[in-house]
Amino acid sequence: MKTEIVKNGDQLIAKFAGRLDTPAAVQTTEDVKPLLEAQNKEIILDCTELEYISSSGLRIFLSIRKEAAAHGSKVIVRNINDDIRQVFMMTGFISLFEIQ
Amino acid sequence: MDLHTEMLLEEYREAIPVFERMQEEVLATLRDALQRNGLIVTAIESRIKTEESLAGKLALKGGKYASLNDITDILGARIVTFYTDDVDRIAAMAEQLFEIDWENSVDKRMLHELDSFGYNSLHYICKMPGYDYRFELQLRTTLQHAWASINHDIGYKSGVEIPREYMRRINRMAGLLEMADDEFSRIRTEITDYRRRVQHLVQNGKLDDVQLDGDTFNSYLQVRPFDSLNKRIAAINQAEIQEVPLIRYLRVFKALGCNTLGDIERLKKQYQEDAYRLARHQLGNTDLDIISSAVGAQNICIVCILATGGGKLGLVRLFDALNGHNTQNEAIAEMTYEQAKNLQL
Repeated sequence: MKTEIVKNGDQLIAKFAGRLDTPAAVQTTEDVKPLLEAQNKEIILDCTELEYISSSGLRIFLSIRKEAAAHGSKVIVRNINDDIRQVFMMTGFISLFEIQ
Repeated sequence: MDLHTEMLLEEYREAIPVFERMQEEVLATLRDALQRNGLIVTAIESRIKTEESLAGKLALKGGKYASLNDITDILGARIVTFYTDDVDRIAAMAEQLFEIDWENSVDKRMLHELDSFGYNSLHYICKMPGYDYRFELQLRTTLQHAWASINHDIGYKSGVEIPREYMRRINRMAGLLEMADDEFSRIRTEITDYRRRVQHLVQNGKLDDVQLDGDTFNSYLQVRPFDSLNKRIAAINQAEIQEVPLIRYLRVFKALGCNTLGDIERLKKQYQEDAYRLARHQLGNTDLDIISSAVGAQNICIVCILATGGGKLGLVRLFDALNGHNTQNEAIAEMTYEQAKNLQL
């Protein structure tokens, strides 16, 4: 699992690649820390190369969203595959995130 | 400029740091008290009279003041409220916070004759503990503030005495705004009563008597109507339930034909078993142990749409209403439709 954070003007783009499962969650939690402190940014969670997300991964996405809301930032989830879309759907989080 | 005025101005210059400290303390005290009392206001303003303005005042009536202590408006603070009732509440609050100089305080609202209208504000002359100087606290509503500001602007700009006819029209506006202020206060009181009645009806289960709107739906959500379904769904994987806002479902329930809270309750009773089956089918062979508190309402809406022949298009509309129009919604609807088909909902 790899996480890369790229700055693009007022955007912070987090590019996830691989499987965001429980073993990967510890490192990913560390990797996304810069997102948690971002003030008034548009945070893009780019899931183009994300193959799978577990409950631990969902919790990371939820904490990014919670911190973003507290710091005036906005979170957009981009390019999720069918499996991840299904996870968002069946857990009821699909309407919590802006998904593009 | 005479010697007495010069002496007062010198005293004023030396006292500026004291007034600045007092200004900070007065504002902090007012803000803190407003917050503690749950009072939301339009504005809290303050100013220290400029030397130029003070000199102008002294030129007009300097002989009236023996010392700077006699001038009560060098520091002025103003609170602008939404409602007339709040002016009285904040006045009561100020009486607790400061020592009020009743002799010099004036309620301009009470000064008008029965058949006259004009400037309406409550002016308190106050003393902050620890300071010798007094300050003026003005309390008025947003509409009174608007009238006073426009009246000041017209008077200031014209530079000539305004003819009686125009004065009458300006004061007539004060009467109109007084009526509007009273009406806004009445509306607020009635809305508060309405909310209490709705909450009472919701708590007593008389949901058919409650029309569905933003206020009533919020009251309904406070009794956590989807909790038991969410808990059953959570039990499938011993999941934790993450609280999320459900207000977006108001639009969905309305689109599903619900006119009262009773209609939502019937819909829930009719479809909650299938909503649970859908969740079990989806989550049963996963290890997902976190769900949102929207999942119960979401699944009820999905099975209702499918059971009433809404099909894929109905699901797209559901997700459009929940997520905003988005091309992703078609894919989500397609996926949900296929899953639900297996269950023969």
